Amino acid sequence: MNNRGKGLKIGFVLILIAGLLLIDGCWGKREVEELAPLIGVGIDLGQRPDTFLITEQYALPKKSGSSASDVEGWTYSFEVSNAREMNEKASKVLNRLPFMGSLKVIVIGEEAAKAGFKDVLDFAQRFSEFRRSMYLVLAKGKAQSILNLKLRKGELPAMFIKSNIETGNKISTFPKVRLGHYLTVLGRKSTAPILPVIESIKPGDEGIEYKAVGEEDEAQEAWIQGAGVFRGDHLVDFLTDEESKGYMWLENEVIHRLINTVGTGESKVIFGGQVLKSTTRFKVKGKDGTIGIQYQIKASIAVDQVMGLKEQLSETEWLDLMNEAEKSFAKVIQKECELSIKKERELGLDFLEIGRHIEQRNPAYWKTVKDQWEGKIADFPIALDVQVTIHHSGMSSSSATTNND
Amino acid sequence: MERISPHQFMTLGAAVLMGGTFLLLAAGVTVASGRDGWMTVLPGFAVGIPYGLMVLSLLEQYPRKNLLRISEILLGKWVGKIIGFIYILIAGYYGGLVLAVLGEIFERSIMPLTPRWLFYLGGLVLVLYLVGSGIEVFARFSEILFPVIIIALMLNVVLTIPRIEQGELMPILSEGIKPLFYGVLKVMPFAMAYILFLAGILPFLPTSKQEIGQMKAGVWRAVFWVGIVDMLVVIVQILVFGPGETIRLANGILVLGKLVEVSRTVAGIESIFMGIWLGAMVIKICAYFFMTSWGLETVFNLKGFKWNVIVGVVFLGIAFGLPRGAYLLKELSIAESYLLCPFASVWIPILWGVSRWKKGAGV
Repeated sequence: MNNRGKGLKIGFVLILIAGLLLIDGCWGKREVEELAPLIGVGIDLGQRPDTFLITEQYALPKKSGSSASDVEGWTYSFEVSNAREMNEKASKVLNRLPFMGSLKVIVIGEEAAKAGFKDVLDFAQRFSEFRRSMYLVLAKGKAQSILNLKLRKGELPAMFIKSNIETGNKISTFPKVRLGHYLTVLGRKSTAPILPVIESIKPGDEGIEYKAVGEEDEAQEAWIQGAGVFRGDHLVDFLTDEESKGYMWLENEVIHRLINTVGTGESKVIFGGQVLKSTTRFKVKGKDGTIGIQYQIKASIAVDQVMGLKEQLSETEWLDLMNEAEKSFAKVIQKECELSIKKERELGLDFLEIGRHIEQRNPAYWKTVKDQWEGKIADFPIALDVQVTIHHSGMSSSSATTNND
Repeated sequence: MERISPHQFMTLGAAVLMGGTFLLLAAGVTVASGRDGWMTVLPGFAVGIPYGLMVLSLLEQYPRKNLLRISEILLGKWVGKIIGFIYILIAGYYGGLVLAVLGEIFERSIMPLTPRWLFYLGGLVLVLYLVGSGIEVFARFSEILFPVIIIALMLNVVLTIPRIEQGELMPILSEGIKPLFYGVLKVMPFAMAYILFLAGILPFLPTSKQEIGQMKAGVWRAVFWVGIVDMLVVIVQILVFGPGETIRLANGILVLGKLVEVSRTVAGIESIFMGIWLGAMVIKICAYFFMTSWGLETVFNLKGFKWNVIVGVVFLGIAFGLPRGAYLLKELSIAESYLLCPFASVWIPILWGVSRWKKGAGV
């Protein structure tokens, strides 16, 4: 190798080393100690026109904490006109740089949801630090109140909401909506978005009793139940718990469910069980020139509780009873679905994505109805076929107490 | 003169063909063909196969000459020089554009505060090193990096499967097949960019009949490898985001990278993906740098380190001089669709046709 070539190579290597040192992030470098990880955001309407009351919840490791998971929460609310203004104000208070990549939950307050929140949410889908995997929930009341709850378990509300949603598969009673899913649904036009509802529950609400900490009327617990139905980014109405459960069946989102019958069979026996597996399929069918949708729900249930048995049953009688259980569970599922369909028809909003199903299976027909779809929902033919199989009936084939009755 | 093997020809060609196509392809084909856009990717790339075979058949007839030299032989000196001049302009401008896009993507996605010149300079230093080391080193660089790019893309695709929205690909062909044609037109420029690279690399290719046969198979393989991988990238983006969001997202694959989460332990690995995408774009810039240098050498007999530095400065000038943001992507799309694609799609068949005619006529 001649001297010139050698010199060039050394020059290149030096430039590469300099490049490596420079590109290391000196311009955007942020030490972990300088960051404030954001975990929850609440959006409410501000008092002044065209403002939002934005609440941000940060989680910081406790200096005296015994483990890395020992965190303290900082929650601030500011009335601002946009999300960046909120960042500026939070930076001043925190003396740290808000880090958005850790955001887990955005809570939309009821009033903000009614007024529309697309503009304030734009920051979350545009700024590169955010992840589309964060969850969206709708608050009954103010989002600020939810994020300021002092939960009895000591958890930060944002972390509680996140873990509650993530363990929600075990009961499958409310929809799980990530920002990415919401944006995809918005892009479909025919489908009405839906968000799960979080609400604080006080002792005495919905049959719950517990000893509250602090002031007498202070809510110390919260739960996710029901859902809100939107037209675009405007809240239109709420779904009840049963209507939401119907949505879960029809959308094939039931992973596991705890389910009870109401004793409508001949023997008036009540069954409690757990859904082990569920599949919902649909067909878009034409009959006598009318197009309709037919759902078929197949659920496999383990019976965990049998109440109201009057006597010990023989093997054959037990099998008959399990047949009755299958019918009773199917009725419950059918009722939940019908309530959900009824709500869809009343609202004229297609949160069950029936229009999208028609578009998938019969695009030619969809082109003829898509422009009047909201008007067609009210009387669009929908049929249900629910089939339940009892997978097993637990550790016993009768009641332990029947001989004493 | 340096030579590369048929295997190196295949992997280098595939790496140049791939470049940063996966960063922009999904939005383009979905705008043109809706949710059926993924179907247009493979046919769009496959357009490159007949062109590639035409270029290699010219190599058989005129060994160790690039297409610029062959143009001078077949079409006359001045026509050949004009074609060569256009080739230099297109290669230089497109190379500078890709360099600008590299900085734009990094600035937009993970390093918003780092000055753009650092990305330009970092990328260009690597390119200058590869150009200075010769085509064989560039081929070996691609041989190492291309499998890493493919593995990273496949990992990105597979690890985002849990985020798929059911049924987003349905209905299939609801708008008929006409929109697919527009989608193919969106993909074709990428194939033509590859063909223009082949036009310049010919003098470095082996010329035995057996090796030319292997290289013809290499063109097929490169096109299908890249076409299939890019098609999967488009499919997964439509499945995860839906067609509406796929169109709206500036760089869907980067958003896809942010969605990768394995259990609760692996997340936030988009920076690793970005590092690999940087390598993919450097290969493309390097290819266009080579093309500009080959053009200068063939048409004006300008070669050597000094001219490489001048080309580098021109690339930097283009990258700095171009508008930013959405305008830059628009400019890239215009250059691909209205400069690069028409030039390659007309020049190569004419050259091939004239050579066949002259051969048949015994001229």
